[in-house]
Amino acid sequence: MSLVDAPLAAGYTLGDFLLVAAAGFAVLAVGMLYRAVVGPTMQDRVLAVNVLGTNTVVILAILGAALGEPTFLDIALVYALLNFLMAIAISKFTVERGGVL
Amino acid sequence: MADTDPPAGGADPDATATADSGAGATVGSGAGAAAESGDASETDAESDSAAGAVIVPVEPTSTLRSTIAHVAASAAEDGASAIHLVEIASWRDGDPESDDRAAAAERVLERVSAWTTADLDDSEAPGAADVEVVTAVLGADDYLFGADDYVRVLAEYAEANGADRVVLDPEYTPVGNTTLLQPLEFALSNTPLSVETAPVDRPTRRERFRTEATTGRFVALFGLSLAFYLLLGDPTYWFDVVTGVATAAVVSTVLSRVSLDSNPAIPRTPMRIVRGVIYLPVLLFEILKANLVVARVILDPRLPIEPTMNRMRVIVGSGLPLMTLANSITLTPGTLTVRARDSDLYVHSLLPWAREGLFDGSLERWTRFVYYGRRSARLPTPRERDDVAILQGDDATEELPIAAADGGAVDADGETESTADPSDADGVTDR
Amino acid sequence: MTAATLEAARVWLVVALTLLGLFFSFVSMVGVLRLPDVYSRAHTASQADTLGAGFGLAAVALTVGLAGAGFKSVLLLFFIFVTNPTAAHAIARAAFEEGIVPWIEGDDRR
Repeated sequence: MSLVDAPLAAGYTLGDFLLVAAAGFAVLAVGMLYRAVVGPTMQDRVLAVNVLGTNTVVILAILGAALGEPTFLDIALVYALLNFLMAIAISKFTVERGGVL
Repeated sequence: MADTDPPAGGADPDATATADSGAGATVGSGAGAAAESGDASETDAESDSAAGAVIVPVEPTSTLRSTIAHVAASAAEDGASAIHLVEIASWRDGDPESDDRAAAAERVLERVSAWTTADLDDSEAPGAADVEVVTAVLGADDYLFGADDYVRVLAEYAEANGADRVVLDPEYTPVGNTTLLQPLEFALSNTPLSVETAPVDRPTRRERFRTEATTGRFVALFGLSLAFYLLLGDPTYWFDVVTGVATAAVVSTVLSRVSLDSNPAIPRTPMRIVRGVIYLPVLLFEILKANLVVARVILDPRLPIEPTMNRMRVIVGSGLPLMTLANSITLTPGTLTVRARDSDLYVHSLLPWAREGLFDGSLERWTRFVYYGRRSARLPTPRERDDVAILQGDDATEELPIAAADGGAVDADGETESTADPSDADGVTDR
Repeated sequence: MTAATLEAARVWLVVALTLLGLFFSFVSMVGVLRLPDVYSRAHTASQADTLGAGFGLAAVALTVGLAGAGFKSVLLLFFIFVTNPTAAHAIARAAFEEGIVPWIEGDDRR
């Protein structure tokens, strides 16, 4: 019996709790989305999208654990990598002189 | 300086020899005239700066030998007063192993100096006997960051020794950093020194690979990438092992020169990893502690923040130690490294409390501990060293080095109007 | 019996870590929403969010167990701890190079 099926309270299991937590992270992500839309500067948007990406990684990992799908973690790894690349690439190319990092 | 052996007899033919080499022509003839007037000591001083000395930055490369041959030949031809063979230190005196590295540098300089003397002895040119060979190690009392620092050190040395010409080895890689040669040439072109790259045959890429990609680096990167591959895959499954070896071989062949800039050394590298593991929980605890403080401030409805930009000069080496320190500073809440310019870190701090903590320099000491060991970690705090400055607010001690003085943000769309003009107070209410 | 208590402890540790993760991610969101300029937003984006993600991923690692795919989430945790501050640094530096002046007290721009 895996840990996800362990009873927590009132008949709900740890898996259920993790699903709720993932939903909570998703709600927080919506808040970040506001900053990504409003800006006002380019860097604000990149920053917000970067935070959103980190949140998505966590959501993916938590879903992977809650649903017993270890492959989600691989997707999360790739997503984290792409997220980092995105932030670096945009920062680099919004500065014309280049040389960021 | 030791360049006071009187080449009075040789000054005459020298002067005629230099007459056809553009820049030194007028001064060279001046020195000749002085020689004719017979005042030996003055002639010497004059010809030092007139015929000029040559500076050759030295690093053990595959083209060093031919560069030296070229320098010796041209110096004998032009009647240069001295050849200065200098090694720019990539270490700092007092660091662990600095003695070893200084000794290694001395050995290289000795060998190169022997080559130069031999070449000069063999030379047929009349001025050859009067060329002096001087060796020096530069910049060992400071960490040098980037091309500008190297050029500064070179220029200071050139001025002190009356040198006006720098000859670069085409394979010269300052501090084992291949990306530095072009910036170095560019920065040198802004100084009064004349720069030339020795016209010598470069070996083919292949040979260069063989000389630079050392076994140590290759093995280290191979092991690391294979371990990573097998960590993600299944180490007991033969297919994963075979593809892993193939991938790791490709990766380490292509990248071992790029990703590691120094050879892994047996006592040093494992010790660094061990000390890094000691540092990790300390860092985690600091992050946690400070995060709670900042969380309270952010969740406080009054939002009592007092952000300022600060500058701090840190004493850690360039490359990985600097990155470690900058990232540690960013991870510790309340401080954010905005820019690392040579050894100057521009740090944005959210609270005066975080700023004071930063200036106490515990992270700097920890970084030094991780990379150089316990003994090097004892040093005065940045505040005691007077290496800190606040760039904004009421306590500002220095000006903010920023491109545009106003709000900037011209690239964004209409809603930035309120941000672009700070004086427009009512603009805030539009969102 | 000890196995059962150990499992219960693990379950509640997972719950605690997840809640901590949620809390710090919440702080990060609040910071990103209400702080005045891109530099101070980068603070919470890099720090509170890294810690939040760290707690979340630690919870996942504990749930999955290190024998299974848990080491991947440890790897992920490590990766995020290295890349998040680097990304924040790159963004803040891009802002600095573009000439965005950091907000100080008394500045009306928000």
